[in-house]
Amino acid sequence: MLSVYQVYLLPGNSVYCGSTISPSQIPLYTKCILRLKVILIFYSLQGRTLILKDIKSHESLSLVCITQLERRMADAGNKESAPIGGDEFTNTELENNKNNTMVEEGSTLLRRMEISVAEAEKRTGKNTVNMQEIFTVYLIETRPIDAITEGHNPAPDSLWRRYSEFEILRNYLLVTYPFIVVPPLPEKRAEFVWHKLSADNMDPDFVERRRVGLENFLLRVASHSVLSNDKILYHFLTEEHRWKEVVYETGFQAKADSRIKALSATFRVKNPDKRFTEMKHYSDELQSLTSQLLRVRARVADRLYGVYKVHGNYGRVFSEWSALEKEMGDGLQSAGHHMDAYAASVDDMLEEEEHYADQLKEYLFYAEALRAVCRKHELTQYELETASSDLISKKQQREELATGMVRTFSFKGMTNKLFGQETPEQREAKLSLLEEQIVQGEETVTEKTVECEEYVKGAWVDMQRFKEQKDRDLREALIGYAVMQISMCKKGIQVWTNAKECFHKM
Amino acid sequence: MSACTPKSLASSGQKPIQEMCHPLGAEEAVLTPSPDVRNITSSIGEKDQILPNGTPVETSSPSSSSSLLNRLQLDDDLDGETRDLFVTVDDPKKHVSTMETYITYRVVTKTTRVEFDLPEYTVRRRYQDFDWLRTKLEDSQPTHLIPPLPEKFVMKGVVDRFSEEFVETRRKALDKFLKRVADHPVLSFNEHLNSFLSAKDLNKRQGLALLSKMGESVKYVTGGYKLRGRPVEFSAMGDYLDMFTQKLGTIDRIAQRIIKEQSEYQVELREYGPVYTTWALSEAELQGPLEGVASCMANCSSALDELTQDMSEDFLPVLREYVLYIESMKIVLKKRDNIQAEYEAKLEAAAFRKEEKASCTQVPTDVEKCHDRVECCNADLKSDWDRWQNNKRQDFRQLLTGMADHNIQYYEKCLAAWESVIPLLRDKQPQETETEED
Repeated sequence: MLSVYQVYLLPGNSVYCGSTISPSQIPLYTKCILRLKVILIFYSLQGRTLILKDIKSHESLSLVCITQLERRMADAGNKESAPIGGDEFTNTELENNKNNTMVEEGSTLLRRMEISVAEAEKRTGKNTVNMQEIFTVYLIETRPIDAITEGHNPAPDSLWRRYSEFEILRNYLLVTYPFIVVPPLPEKRAEFVWHKLSADNMDPDFVERRRVGLENFLLRVASHSVLSNDKILYHFLTEEHRWKEVVYETGFQAKADSRIKALSATFRVKNPDKRFTEMKHYSDELQSLTSQLLRVRARVADRLYGVYKVHGNYGRVFSEWSALEKEMGDGLQSAGHHMDAYAASVDDMLEEEEHYADQLKEYLFYAEALRAVCRKHELTQYELETASSDLISKKQQREELATGMVRTFSFKGMTNKLFGQETPEQREAKLSLLEEQIVQGEETVTEKTVECEEYVKGAWVDMQRFKEQKDRDLREALIGYAVMQISMCKKGIQVWTNAKECFHKM
Repeated sequence: MSACTPKSLASSGQKPIQEMCHPLGAEEAVLTPSPDVRNITSSIGEKDQILPNGTPVETSSPSSSSSLLNRLQLDDDLDGETRDLFVTVDDPKKHVSTMETYITYRVVTKTTRVEFDLPEYTVRRRYQDFDWLRTKLEDSQPTHLIPPLPEKFVMKGVVDRFSEEFVETRRKALDKFLKRVADHPVLSFNEHLNSFLSAKDLNKRQGLALLSKMGESVKYVTGGYKLRGRPVEFSAMGDYLDMFTQKLGTIDRIAQRIIKEQSEYQVELREYGPVYTTWALSEAELQGPLEGVASCMANCSSALDELTQDMSEDFLPVLREYVLYIESMKIVLKKRDNIQAEYEAKLEAAAFRKEEKASCTQVPTDVEKCHDRVECCNADLKSDWDRWQNNKRQDFRQLLTGMADHNIQYYEKCLAAWESVIPLLRDKQPQETETEED
């Protein structure tokens, strides 16, 4: 029995074929990011084998794995009803999906709304200094899920945004939710480029990869239990023109911590939560390692390119040689063609590998977001410590004034000694001021303590979530990479076997 | 020193030679004679064609050529044509004496020919001896193509004459040389070959060798006659050789370039894997997968090492040695030209004299002899050329197939490594075991 399902895979997941899954266990709502393009996949079932097909060409995708689904099978553990054909979703399927999204609790925006970054276009306009510039805009499409489930297929709402607007959104989220490891944006400029890859921001491949990265960003944000409920995010997705004013009105820019403040807090904080300190070290490691990995990978790609391309020269010389020969000619000529094919095959393979590099880059940038959360903790802790020590010193001053004993050195005390004691009225005034300050101070300390505790609680939860997400995603990335290598080896075997047959016929 | 397994011996349909165990052969393929043995009649002056071990010989009759070629496969042997002379060069050993240090090779001969007293011989020969043999063959068979020897002189500072690699490359080339000679219908019956294969000591003949070096061969190569009309087919041969040399040069350069690129790729790969290992140290759940990837890359790296080494050792030397073979062929062509030129000159001189002595109607005998020599030379050359072409075809088929094989093996090793890592990557901590079916 053949049934057709429309599926989405949340970002960071990949699929590959070869496993058998019973029909009832397929979670829906999985969008697969494959070959730098986001494509919809139809699953078709014959018996118990799952076959994945490209929606446009209907050709089977052999590179596609189903680990994520299998893991979810183990995780889910609840009985789902068999999915129905076409693009309808029942409530149970949505329930299923809820268990299978990356966020466990709360309702997320992504569940109510389908979001995608569908296209990219070049525009020209005047920039802030009134000069002509070319920039790229990206089309964000949204569609409410309800509309789809009711069997309609409405056209999506859409608006155009440029990269800088995404940056503003992210900065807003960073300031507003400092305890959340905020998903990163794709890189602003092309880095870790191997020589054939363009470092030009206008290059179509770069733009395409950025489109995917931006969509990934939106999907991650919209599926986060906390971030997805943000109104500004919603506006970003739905209101093209007024959004910037609205976001600036929140005054988030003013709330941003100054760098200097943050830095000095890092040095002077006395008792940060040990777990956060460890996490900060980890984030440093993650950043340095992924960056090193990306650099070396780019060099490896370069060298591999060279190896393959030189083989193309064999194609040419075999062709020339075959013209000299009688019986050997045909075999040589055909072998030469295979050498050409071999040399040409490296382009596609390396382009595909860029997807792996993009996955690593995402976590390179995530490391920075993680560090930011740890440092914010250090800042809040430092502020608490400062408030506490301020309070203590104020209390000590009060004690001194009341008892007349000088315990702490102060200029006031010295000048008093030099120029004479103050009057009882003056002392009273000072005492009551101090009392006020102490009351305020105690309030501040209480506030800061609560703030710190809540921060630690919230941040720790999100850091755990992040850790699990990271483990999952990177594992998937490694699997994807291994699958790519396997495909590359198989192609190599194929080409050389073909060439060998031609040599045999010489 | 490595004792290499020689190429498998051919079977003889008539003799029980196939049951004879080769003294060195550990893994010997059991060969079956093919049923459709064709008795190939030879042209005048040549004995029955013998099929060689590994380098098959072509006859000059076209119909048999194609049928033979159709049945040719690498390292497989042909059917039971009468083969009665098998030679192998192996077991290199170093000899240290007060005067010098040198390498000798064991030469093993098996034969049923009556020209030989015994059916089997084992002797030790050094490069000098092979050189002597070649010179002797050149002198006694000036019109034939004598296969080349590997380079005689090596710069002492640059190449280690006693390194395993060098000695092995040389051994292979000497083995090839001797096999080609043994397979040649004329050369294989040369008395000097007989001595080379059977005599205990060749030393006594060294003196003669030096003297005879300045013998006939020189005359034929450097003859001062000018050639008028070279037959088209021989010109075509010369042209072909020139162009072929060029192509070989290009292939050599490409192969070297590939090896270089692969080495540079290897350098980067060696840095790449360890980063994963370092990363694994910072991770908990990802530690296993990351280490798995790192070890996988180490495997691929060593597979690449083997590929590069194989190409350096197996591919390049054979390619280069072929240039020498081409040179030998060119020399033979030149000799032929000179013989023809000599004939033409004598003919012209005779025609002159004939004019003077109008009565003489006979063609002088020495001119006739020259004419015969020309005809003979042309015939020999043509058959040698055909043989050479076929050897070339076989050799290159083998060489290129070997190259393809090395590459296939490399990719298969890498494939195995990556495929074995996939279950490791998919496997999670014991708490979350999943049963997966592939």
